[in-house]
Amino acid sequence: MVGELDGRSAAMTGRAGRLAAVGVIALIVSAHVGSPDTYFEGAAGPYRVRVIVRTPGVVPGLAQITVRLLSPLPQGAPPRRVLVLPVYWDPQTAAPPPPDVARHVPGDSTLYSAALWLMRGGSYSVQVTVEGAGGSGTALVPVMAVATRRLALDKALGAALLGLGAFLFAGAVTLIGAAVREGGLEPGVVPDRRRTVRSRVAMGVATLVLALALMGGRVWWNGVDSEYRSGLYQPLHATATVRTASGAQVLRLAIDDTSWTNRKRQWTPLVPDHGHLMHLFLVRDSTLDGFAHLHPLPLDSITFETHLPPLERGRYRAYADIVHESGFAETLVATVDLDGWVGTWRPTDSDDAWTTGNGNRETGNVVGLADASTMIWDKSPAPIVVDHDAPLHFVVTDPSGRPARLEPYMGMAGHAMITRDDGAVFVHLHPAGTVSLAALETFALRQPGDTIRGLLGARLTALEKGNGERGAVPDGATTMPGAHRGEPLPAPASLSFPYAFPKPGHYRIWVQVKRSGRILTGVFDADVHAAR
Amino acid sequence: MLAATSAVVGVIWDISWHRTIGRDTFWTPAHLAIYLGGALAGAACGWLVLQTTFAGTAEEKAAAVTFWGFRGPLGAWVAIWGAIAMLASGPFDNWWHNAYGLDVKVLSPPHVILALGFTGIQLGALFLVQSLQNRAGEAGRRATGLLFAFGAGILVQNIAIIGIEQIAFPNSAHNGLYYKVAGAAFPLVLIAVARASRLKWAATTAAAAYMAISLVMIWVLQLFPATPKLAPVFNPVTHMVAPPFPLLLVVPAAALDILVQGWGPGRDWRLALFGGVTFLAVFFVTQWFFAEFLLTPYARNFWFGVDQWDYSSRVREWRYQFWRIGADPVTPAKLGIAAILAICSARIGLWWGNWMAGLRR
Repeated sequence: MVGELDGRSAAMTGRAGRLAAVGVIALIVSAHVGSPDTYFEGAAGPYRVRVIVRTPGVVPGLAQITVRLLSPLPQGAPPRRVLVLPVYWDPQTAAPPPPDVARHVPGDSTLYSAALWLMRGGSYSVQVTVEGAGGSGTALVPVMAVATRRLALDKALGAALLGLGAFLFAGAVTLIGAAVREGGLEPGVVPDRRRTVRSRVAMGVATLVLALALMGGRVWWNGVDSEYRSGLYQPLHATATVRTASGAQVLRLAIDDTSWTNRKRQWTPLVPDHGHLMHLFLVRDSTLDGFAHLHPLPLDSITFETHLPPLERGRYRAYADIVHESGFAETLVATVDLDGWVGTWRPTDSDDAWTTGNGNRETGNVVGLADASTMIWDKSPAPIVVDHDAPLHFVVTDPSGRPARLEPYMGMAGHAMITRDDGAVFVHLHPAGTVSLAALETFALRQPGDTIRGLLGARLTALEKGNGERGAVPDGATTMPGAHRGEPLPAPASLSFPYAFPKPGHYRIWVQVKRSGRILTGVFDADVHAAR
Repeated sequence: MLAATSAVVGVIWDISWHRTIGRDTFWTPAHLAIYLGGALAGAACGWLVLQTTFAGTAEEKAAAVTFWGFRGPLGAWVAIWGAIAMLASGPFDNWWHNAYGLDVKVLSPPHVILALGFTGIQLGALFLVQSLQNRAGEAGRRATGLLFAFGAGILVQNIAIIGIEQIAFPNSAHNGLYYKVAGAAFPLVLIAVARASRLKWAATTAAAAYMAISLVMIWVLQLFPATPKLAPVFNPVTHMVAPPFPLLLVVPAAALDILVQGWGPGRDWRLALFGGVTFLAVFFVTQWFFAEFLLTPYARNFWFGVDQWDYSSRVREWRYQFWRIGADPVTPAKLGIAAILAICSARIGLWWGNWMAGLRR
């Protein structure tokens, strides 16, 4: 069993107490916070695809996958075929079942959909294969299968079931009465008083027995329910603290969850994502006018530390993105109070960046950046609607108004962090979508023999440092090959992030790009409307 | 009776489906067979009740019981109750899977309601036939008696399905639990049938009907090609997986028939005592050795099908070994408990049988 528990089951241990206060429908987070669906854009061989996986919120459950082919279909080409297959991370998994053929969505020549059976909690890679005139190609899409909610019994269904239940109860009692009263009588004989009395007694006893049985059923149901709730996914617990060391402030984030700190933990170790074991985001609570993207260094497997930039005094939300060797990506959540300090910031990592204030905004979608270049949110005036493709296209121009020459920032053309003002949603996006690059790499690199923990992570780390076999990750479109720590290749001046907002409300978006060695952050706001 | 058969065949088929293919929708043929049973029973008995109430002859009305102002045979009412229970279990089960996951458990609250539903249909069919048998003249007795025994065979099959985890596989036949479950469950039905039926070998016939249904299902299901569609596939099966080989219940059932015929009514406590102990003793001897045979290479073929396992199992030597004999061996104390359970089961069965023997409507 060791190794099979990564993910949901590991999250189950020792967490029941904290979940006691969870309401009727638990609002729980996934690999990101409050945004459980997976968005992916990349290449399946010669074809560009955009994949959306809508998770069922229960395990085992059926996820819905849609695949949009972005490459145009040449004239007269034979129709394409899209195959999907979810593969569990565990290398012990035997022969996979045949993939499912995704069905063509009527009325849309480039859209295909299918259902994915995710039978165990944990990390999956969904193999999306496109077959067509240009040959066939496969993209891997990491998907986390976690139980995130308990469906409430809707009122109409509840009432119907209650009615049927009451009918069955009364019916059973009446039947028993009729059986005792008349069942044994020759046809035509009218039951005498003795039989009538016996029948009433039988009905009384039956009522009692059935009531007891119903109570037993209730206890059983409640038992299943509470067990299910205690198994709902929660990210590992983390605590953030601040201390002053030699004139600078150091933020410490400790993963102090007992399922992580105990020696017999079922979790696989962490692997680096874009070269960092942890990506830590600080967002100033309620006003959202302070933001930092930091990369704490591990002191051991539990404790991570980083120098704090001179953020203003106040309460901050801390979101820490980590990826396990199993490909399971999660976002740890904590809060920390900063007392505000002034001094020279010595970044722990050259990829660290921060910004303060609401951004130098001239208008809603044109933002001046710190080096006098400009970031434009290229969006239509149409309102942004929940669960519809969000128009997250950004263009960066240099001070002379021409498209800026950007550099990859941690292997990506850009990063977008999105949060709802109350903190109920927090996601970290790339042009490849919501998926974690490291999770994708674990699936691409994993071989059937990878049963010892940590070895895959070591290979991945070597690869991240540039002395591994770089070509091992097949999907060149999601990363920028060779761009990571080596020679910077130019990144496109316009960026798109595939995403759909999960909930209505007011959102803030930080878009980060790199130009001339400097990390630039554009700050935008968005109002997202409920779907009509 | 047709409805009851359809439902029980559907359940066996469905279990094989889950062991072979893994995933399903509401519209699998196995599910349709189960719900066809419900729909058939509900419609036929509903029509019977309406017909009796509004257009029935005096004779038909006289042979009916009253239920909230309507008149109909008792069995019809029980079957209608079962059909409604099955109907209610559908949306409940659907919600259950959406709320708690697509469990592949046999025992969950909605499945229990479904099981109560089809058990209701089977009981209803049994009561309908029994009241006919009791009212029939000598000529019709044999036909109704056979039908009754067949209905009881379906009930026995039902018990075997519900107890699939404890008593279905020969690998469990050297565990204490195997005999406790069998002792508690089977004497109830077998002795009740032996008592209530006018047929001479009623319990034996019922047991034979149960075995026949199982065998037909084993031989027919294997003929259909099927491939697993759910990961992980450790055992790449190519055809529907055969259900486990039935218990040799005809042997202890024949012993019960002999006892019930020999003792007659009036000495039921003693009959329960001896019947329970006899059942367990005969069952123990038969199954203990027969299970040993089923684990030999001679049983690994089309006829017995014991070498067939779920797509998700890692098939190894355990297929042909007795399970948990260290954790739950058969001991005299456990056999004693099983015997007590069998005696209680037989006593309740006799009460039930006596009531059915008097059933007229």
